[in-house]
Amino acid sequence: MSLYSSRRNANTLATALCWAAAAFGLSWLVMILGALIYEGAKGLSLDVLTQMTPPPGGAGGLLNAMAGSLIMSVIGVAVGAPLGMLAGTYMAEYGRYSKLTVVIRFINDILLSAPSIVIGLFVYTVLVARMGHFSAISGSAALAILVIPVVLRTTEDMLLLVPGSLREAATALGLPRSYVIQHVAYRAAKSGLVTGVLLAVARVSGETAPLLFTSLNNQFWSLDLNAPMASLPVVIFQFALSPYKDWQQLAWTGALLVTVTVLVLSIAARTLSRQRTFK
Amino acid sequence: MTEQTFENPNADDLAKEAEMSDLALSSVQSKAVESDRRKALGKLSLFDALFHKLTFSAAILVLLLLGGVIISLIQGSLPAVRAFGFGFLSSQSWNPVTDNFGAMAAIYGTVTTSLIAMLVSVPVGLGIAVFLTELCPPVLRRPIGMAIELLAGIPSIIYGIWGLFVLAPFLQQHVQPALISTFADTPVLSTLFAGPPYGIGVMTAGLILGVMVLPFIASISRDVFDTVPPVLKEAAAGIGCTTWEVTRHVVLPYTRVGVIGGVMLGLGRALGETMAVTFVIGNAHKISGSLIAPGTTISATIANEFTEAVGDVYTSSLIELGLILFVITFVVLACARLLLMRIERKAGA
Amino acid sequence: MTVMPVVKPELSTKVAVRNLDFFYGDSRALKDITIGLHTNKVTAFIGPSGCGKSTLLRVLNRMYDLYPKQRAQGEVLLDGENILNPAVDVNLLRSRVGMVFQKPTPFPMSIYDNIAFGIRLYEKLSKAALDARVEEALRGAALWEEVKDKLQMSGLGLSGGQQQRLCIARSVAVQPEVILFDEPCSALDPISTAKVEELIDELSERYTIAIVTHNMQQAVRVSDFTAFMYLGELVEFGETDNVFTAPREKKTQDYITGRFG
Repeated sequence: MSLYSSRRNANTLATALCWAAAAFGLSWLVMILGALIYEGAKGLSLDVLTQMTPPPGGAGGLLNAMAGSLIMSVIGVAVGAPLGMLAGTYMAEYGRYSKLTVVIRFINDILLSAPSIVIGLFVYTVLVARMGHFSAISGSAALAILVIPVVLRTTEDMLLLVPGSLREAATALGLPRSYVIQHVAYRAAKSGLVTGVLLAVARVSGETAPLLFTSLNNQFWSLDLNAPMASLPVVIFQFALSPYKDWQQLAWTGALLVTVTVLVLSIAARTLSRQRTFK
Repeated sequence: MTEQTFENPNADDLAKEAEMSDLALSSVQSKAVESDRRKALGKLSLFDALFHKLTFSAAILVLLLLGGVIISLIQGSLPAVRAFGFGFLSSQSWNPVTDNFGAMAAIYGTVTTSLIAMLVSVPVGLGIAVFLTELCPPVLRRPIGMAIELLAGIPSIIYGIWGLFVLAPFLQQHVQPALISTFADTPVLSTLFAGPPYGIGVMTAGLILGVMVLPFIASISRDVFDTVPPVLKEAAAGIGCTTWEVTRHVVLPYTRVGVIGGVMLGLGRALGETMAVTFVIGNAHKISGSLIAPGTTISATIANEFTEAVGDVYTSSLIELGLILFVITFVVLACARLLLMRIERKAGA
Repeated sequence: MTVMPVVKPELSTKVAVRNLDFFYGDSRALKDITIGLHTNKVTAFIGPSGCGKSTLLRVLNRMYDLYPKQRAQGEVLLDGENILNPAVDVNLLRSRVGMVFQKPTPFPMSIYDNIAFGIRLYEKLSKAALDARVEEALRGAALWEEVKDKLQMSGLGLSGGQQQRLCIARSVAVQPEVILFDEPCSALDPISTAKVEELIDELSERYTIAIVTHNMQQAVRVSDFTAFMYLGELVEFGETDNVFTAPREKKTQDYITGRFG
């Protein structure tokens, strides 16, 4: 039956294409991670973790960049996560049935996927231009703005999953609204909320564009929040595009460090969320 | 509804008295308890109201942020708008020396690289989604799914640096010369693939961008495919449809809106992406017919030139570029969200 | 109009509902309900699905306040004070009128904390006093012997019947005056059901109890007074024995004999 066999062939072809698509996708992962590990590991040494970024042609490490990234990420998350969580709490609890919540959710999703370089421009005009100089504060502010939408989204989603019956039971005891939220809803959604924060940290650890003209870069060790600060992604950007071989090597090693950090955080977040669904 | 029973009056009276005094006593007790409780609750009510206001303010902050971004971009673009007007959008020139700037080349590059990225990522992403939901052996489903998510988690700068050092040289040495010579005589394609093989350029940037957006589209499509009720698929299979026919005639039409929403989200991402593209686009402010030639995108221009821009007009032109990019991505993302909101409502119903 | 909406006017009335209407959005779910609950007695509410018995229960502790589209009109007097008045402190009200729900809902904390949580809200007690109160509440719910060695275990680790008794203990711990039970046994097996019914019997010596139930035999076993509701209206209300053996209304008769519902 020719119709049947042509249908069979179509199916086989489509199946083969889908397998090929999966193989295609996976092979890119292998190629990219493979090159990253190979090139990055070449430059791994104790120096990388203990020395500052060198001038071209010199030997050095990435310590100031790592410290800078850590500081700005921590500040960014410390500022952005509570704001995102509070906003998400409003949307899931007090404002659950209001039109305002629908609007905020819409706006938040736009901010979530907005080009991060535009966020950098915003912080530049609002902070850097006013202050007259680049600084780690501006960099942290840009990162905080990137953290807020991520945490807001997961907070709202996780709180919406908490069964209404649990809230009613707490309310029936006479607990005021904020008590119900803090002691029952937050506790029930705890692992989901932590997952959201981890995902936000993973996201900002790898961001480059918003830091390019807010925190700029700093060749030396600096903990001054009011001055430009080095960060791994920006250093990678600068070094990779340079013509110097040792700078390029440091860029690869830095890239490896960033990727490992981001992947570990993502895996931690995912394991945490899977534990929750098993409960 | 009322009833009256007259039984032994004395016992009844005594019982009633006892009950009344019991009630009186417990009423005194409960009044004391009540006032204690009123005090305790009173202390909490201040904090309660405060918490409510706090969460409300945080929620409003999100709106203010977006408003702030738009306003600051507009304000920052004003010098450039005053200098060039609408001509900014159609001018190809980009001259820091004469302070003459135009967005055309950057817009063209942004759109072209994103289109190439979509051409790569949409078919492959959908293919992966179909693979994960229908064809993948259950044992492999979780690891492969996780691998795709890992691909999505790799920071974009890694794609950029990999593109620069690994992909571009490879394309330059092995692929581009072949493309140039193969299409040298075909009428349209010869212009598309003309010129010296730089390795970096619009095509490479589009390709890297496509690989970056690929896992995003795959995972959104997979989530959307998972919302198809199994009974629908089983019904189709039950009348003898092959897996491909079930996908084509049941799954895809059912999830059409969600898939389109996901694709548009991916497009929004691709349009705004900076680091993956900046490394390999070549940073040439001109539009050329060939895909192999270098070009620039809005985000790459801003990333490369912002810190070195001198003068109000130069800086302002870059900010105006940012505004244009924001408007484009806003429109795309808003449409995507509206589509996806419809899907979420259908799934929830 | 001082109609006493009760069965035995010589007994004191804890909760008096007068001309109560309830709305979900625009649709009226309760129509002009007038009824009274006697102090320290058990009043059962029976009727087919959708008749409004749970809705009525949830008015008594203003649980509907949580949802913007729901509103009540009329009077509900707790010891003579109208609790529908917006000026009333709702949290205080709920400390006096407790509720046990259909689905057991232990908080995500230890058994001890589940009970202590409500107590801590209202009173500052020493550890020893708090321990004693927790024990008292758990004994009152007939749960103490089963959990006294595992008080730090999560409440979620208990069986369904134990969880429901934990919820009862939790409500009792804050020393309410009225306890509302909304189909408390429908998610439980027969043995747990029997234990809970025994509990309700004991609790009625100290608390005024209202119980919504789908199970008519349960109403017979457990309650002193029964109210039959149909399509948002109160059809019949009287002593349980009378309602079930000699109902006045035909609808009641039909429901009890299983002609519908």
